Amino acid sequence: MSTDMSSASETDTLTSDAKRLSIRKMNKHYGDFHAVKDLDIEVEPGEFLVLLGPSGCGKSTALRMIAGLEEITSGEVIMGERDVTHVLPKYRDIAMVFQSYALYPHKTVAENIGFPLKVTGVPLEQRNQAVLDAAAQVQMETLLERYPRELSGGQRQRVALARAIIRRPSAFLMDEPLSNLDAKLRGFMRAELKHMQHELGVTTIYVTHDQIEAMTLAHRVAIMKDGELQQLGTPAEVYTNPTNLFVAGFMGSPPMNFIEGTLSQGSIQVGNDKIFLQGAQEGTAVTMGFRPEDADVVEAGEGRFDAMVYTAEMTGDLTLVTVKHGQSILTIKMPKDFVVDYDQKVGIQFDSGLSYLFSTSDGSRLKAIVVDS
Amino acid sequence: MSNVSKVPRRSLFDRLFEPPRIGAMAPGAKIIVYTLLLAWSAFVLFPIYWLLITSVKTAADVNAGPFFIPFVDFTPSLHAWRELFIVDYADTLRAYVNSLIISLAATALAVLVGSMAAYALARIRYQPNLITILIFILTMTAALFAVFSYGVDWRIVLVVGVGIFYFFSKAVASRVKVPLANGDILFWMISQRILAPIVVVVPIYMMFQSVRMLDTHLAIILTYAVVNLPIVIWLMYDFFNSIPKDLEESAQLDGATMIMTFREVVLPLSRAGLAATTLLVMILCWNEYLLALFLSTAKAQTMPILVAAMNAGERGILWWSMSVVIIVMIIPVVFMAIVLQRYISKGVLLGAVKG
Repeated sequence: MSTDMSSASETDTLTSDAKRLSIRKMNKHYGDFHAVKDLDIEVEPGEFLVLLGPSGCGKSTALRMIAGLEEITSGEVIMGERDVTHVLPKYRDIAMVFQSYALYPHKTVAENIGFPLKVTGVPLEQRNQAVLDAAAQVQMETLLERYPRELSGGQRQRVALARAIIRRPSAFLMDEPLSNLDAKLRGFMRAELKHMQHELGVTTIYVTHDQIEAMTLAHRVAIMKDGELQQLGTPAEVYTNPTNLFVAGFMGSPPMNFIEGTLSQGSIQVGNDKIFLQGAQEGTAVTMGFRPEDADVVEAGEGRFDAMVYTAEMTGDLTLVTVKHGQSILTIKMPKDFVVDYDQKVGIQFDSGLSYLFSTSDGSRLKAIVVDS
Repeated sequence: MSNVSKVPRRSLFDRLFEPPRIGAMAPGAKIIVYTLLLAWSAFVLFPIYWLLITSVKTAADVNAGPFFIPFVDFTPSLHAWRELFIVDYADTLRAYVNSLIISLAATALAVLVGSMAAYALARIRYQPNLITILIFILTMTAALFAVFSYGVDWRIVLVVGVGIFYFFSKAVASRVKVPLANGDILFWMISQRILAPIVVVVPIYMMFQSVRMLDTHLAIILTYAVVNLPIVIWLMYDFFNSIPKDLEESAQLDGATMIMTFREVVLPLSRAGLAATTLLVMILCWNEYLLALFLSTAKAQTMPILVAAMNAGERGILWWSMSVVIIVMIIPVVFMAIVLQRYISKGVLLGAVKG
C-alpha cells in the first residue's frame, strides 16, 4: 500500500484482514433439478480460487449462493467465524463483480464507485476521498464525471472493480468478469486483476469457463461438471495429474488427445499397432490420453503407432500438427520449423510416463501405465 | 477497361425509383411519400382547424356554412368564448376543476399502486395454489349468503368462515396443488381490462349508491384508478422487467436496503416508463365518458359530460360552445405531452443502447 492514503481508508484496510471462506455440503435444487451437489470447498484467507466448468455446470449458481442472491437448499457457508448461510447479502461483507458489470447507467463513474459507501452512510467527505483512492487504483481518476455509456468495455470493467474494492470487503466474488472484453484487453485485464488481488490480499472466488483464465489466475482451481466438484487443486496439479477423463479433457489448449480401445492380451489395438499397458484388467474399455506437447511426430513405423497427417497449422511460436487416426483427431505440438505434407503417413511417439489412462465407462483415472512392450 | 466500372443505362422508371446513391431516397419515392404525409397531416389537422374557426363563428355562420376562412368567408366573433368564460363561467370552471382533480388524483393513485404491483410481479416469484383461491372464494360466497340472505350474525359467520377456510385449505389444498405463476396473476389482472366497462357500470353505480357516494369526486377517482390499474401494471411490468436484475443484486451486495435499492436504482431507471404510463392513464381519465355519466350528476361533472350536454340543450346543438370547451379540454393534454415527451423518447432509446 502506498503511504499517502488518507487516514480513513487506511483504517479500513487494517480492519479487513482476509477471511477464510468455508463452503460445506452446499446443495441447490430447482424442483427436480439438482444444480449443485454437495459442494465442499475451503477457501484459505487471501486465496484466489477459480470455479471452472462448462456452461450450465452450476458454478454461477454456487457463486450466487455464496453471495446470498440464491437460497441454499442445504449446507453451510461460513465466512471467517460467522455462519452466513441464511444471512442477507448486505450483511455478508462481500463485493461482487458481474459479467455485465452492473454499473448504474444513471450515475457517474464517481457515484458508481462511491455507491457502496453512500448506502452504508459514510460521510460525503470521507467517501469522496475513498472514491479518489479506489479510482486511482484502477487508473480511472480522470474519468470520474463520465457516465458508464461513455466508457469503453475495459473502462467499465475498471469501474466495476473500483466499486468492489472501495469497501475493502472480506471477499470478492467475480462472475466471468472478463468474458465481455475482446481477447487482447482480456489478457491485459487478467494480469491487472491478478496483481490487484495479490496487492489487496482479499479472499477471492472467480467463476469462469475459460481454462486459460483459470490456469493463469488461480492459486487453486475447482473444476465442476453437472453440479459436482470434479477436482480441486493448484493449476499445475489439475493439469499434470487430472483425476478423471473430464478434467483431463477440459484443461489445456489444445486439449489432451484421447485414444479408445479395449484391453486384450495386455495391449490395446491402435490401427495396426499395439500399445502395451500394465496394471489394468483384461477386457476393460480404456481411454488413453497424452498432451499435445508430450508427443512427437516421427517417421512412419518409428513411433508407437502410425497415423495420417490431416493438417498442419503454424501459430507463430510452434506448429500444430493434426493427425487422423480412425475416428479420432489428435493434435501434436511441434517446433515452428517442422514441415509435413497433407496425407503423409507418420508415426506418433510419446513418453510412457507422460500418458494417462482412464476407464472409458465412468471416466475415472486408472492406475495402469503404458509400457514399452 | 473493365466491365466492373460500367454502369448500365437506366430506364426512366429506374431513374425515378432507384436511389441515386446509397442512403438517399429515389425522387419518385420522395414525391409519393411526401404527398402521403401531407395528405395525412391535413386529414389529422383539419378537425382541429375546424374547431378553432367554429369556436369563433356565430350561430348564423354555422347554419349558413360551410365557411372555411375567417375574415373572408365570415366575421369571427368571440360570443361563444364570452358566454362560457364570462356569463356562464361557473359551470365551465367547475367541470374543468373537477376534471383536473379527478384525472390527477386517479392517475396518481393508479400509477402508485400499479407500479408497486408491477414491481412485485417482476421481481418476486409467487406460487399461489388455485385450489386455495377457489376454497377462499367459495367460503366467501357462502358467508355473504349467510349474512345477507339468511340474516346470520356476521360475527358468527366470520368465525365459522375462517375455521372452514383453514380446515379445507389444510385438508385439501395441501394435497391437491394447482400452482399458478406470476404470468397467471398478470394475465388475470389484464383480463380485467378486457371486460367492457358497460358490463360493470350498473353494479358500480349500485355500489356507490348504497354507500351514498354518487356524484362525489372520491367515487369517480376510485373507479378510474381501478379501471386503469391493469394498464399501469401491464406497462410497468414490462418496463421493470427490462431493467437488468444485476443492478439490483449489485446494490443489495453493496449494502443497500430494499427501499434504498428502489429509490437509488430502480426509480431513476424507470422514470421514462412512469412518464409514459402517467401520460397514457391521464389521457384516458381525462377523456372518460361512460363511467362519469353514471357516477356524476352535477357536483362532480367532468368536461366530457359538459361537452355532451351541449348536444342536448333545448336550443339545439351549440356547435360554437362545444368547440370552445373542446379546445380548452385539449390544452392540458398537449401541455402534459410536451412536458413528458422528453422522458418518453429517452425511454424508447434506453433499450437500444447497450450497457
